Amino acid sequence: MFSRFLKKFSGQSTQKDEAKKRLHFALVYDKLEINDSTLKELQSDIVGVISKYFEIDQESIHLEIQRDEDTSALVFNTPIINVKRSRA
Amino acid sequence: MKGKIIVVTSGKGGVGKTTATSAIGAALALEGNRVAVIDMDIGLRNLDVVMGLENRIVFNIVDVVNQKCKLSQAAIKDRRIDNLFLIPASQSDNKDVLTTEAVERISEDLKSEFDYVLMDSPAGIERGFENSIVGANEALVVCTPDVSSVRDADRVIGILYSKSLTPKLIVNRIEPQRVQRGEMLSHEDVLDVLSVELAGLVPLDEYVLTATNAGAPLVLQNDSRAGQAFRRIAKRLNGEESLPVEVPTHKTSMWSKISKKFGLAK
Repeated sequence: MFSRFLKKFSGQSTQKDEAKKRLHFALVYDKLEINDSTLKELQSDIVGVISKYFEIDQESIHLEIQRDEDTSALVFNTPIINVKRSRA
Repeated sequence: MKGKIIVVTSGKGGVGKTTATSAIGAALALEGNRVAVIDMDIGLRNLDVVMGLENRIVFNIVDVVNQKCKLSQAAIKDRRIDNLFLIPASQSDNKDVLTTEAVERISEDLKSEFDYVLMDSPAGIERGFENSIVGANEALVVCTPDVSSVRDADRVIGILYSKSLTPKLIVNRIEPQRVQRGEMLSHEDVLDVLSVELAGLVPLDEYVLTATNAGAPLVLQNDSRAGQAFRRIAKRLNGEESLPVEVPTHKTSMWSKISKKFGLAK
């Protein structure tokens, strides 16, 4: 009991805090696992939207999920060939 | 009779599904219900040895589903507890002998014969698991307070929700002393991570091994803390919803309390 008090005040985390933190991350990561067909669908939707405004090179599009220690990001990379001006 | 089918599952193996199934099944029968426990682990049956009924097997669940025998022929009556029946798994190494359609078909028969039917699901999320949940009305997820078990429980809970089942969680093998020392996840920690309702908390208990060794019902051991915890879970399932969930505690003896005060304890 006393050692727990000490730990609380010294800011030292217990073994279970470590376990809980890792578990939280694992579950978030697990849920980010997206299958290829979903990713393909997403890509074609994004291309559809962007194509309304820009002329893009559909061959060199790159879509991926990047994961870091505690963040994750959806990265969509596409070269722009031209801006469509007809939408004014 | 319009009974309920409850699936007992976990994702990860070795967390106490079979122990929980047999204990809760026995406890529900002690409450006066007609209960069947069904081993859905085709090829790796174990519910029969845990219940001490391994030498009475004639027919199994595959025979029932494939209409090789009647339900009543495959249901083995428990030796000690009235109204408790076991339907064993087959030891066939072909796990495709059961299809979800076939299991779904016998679900209605099961519900008309029994008040409660407990499906002891195999580990994993494959065919055997799907067969166990196809006819279920309720689901119990068993986990232990360790990271791998909780993670797998989360996965299984997600699948159950997607099949319109609202699972309840049993946290098994809690060691109150280690929780107190901050070495083990508490049930609150587990519930923080998994968004699920609690069915009950079961402490680690030596009696589980001795009961399994003997093939005797854990819930008949009045000294068994796990056995008593399972009885409370069964009572809540059986309608006594107001019965509070008991948190396992570490019973410190008078002497260790005194010695701690004087700084004599380790």
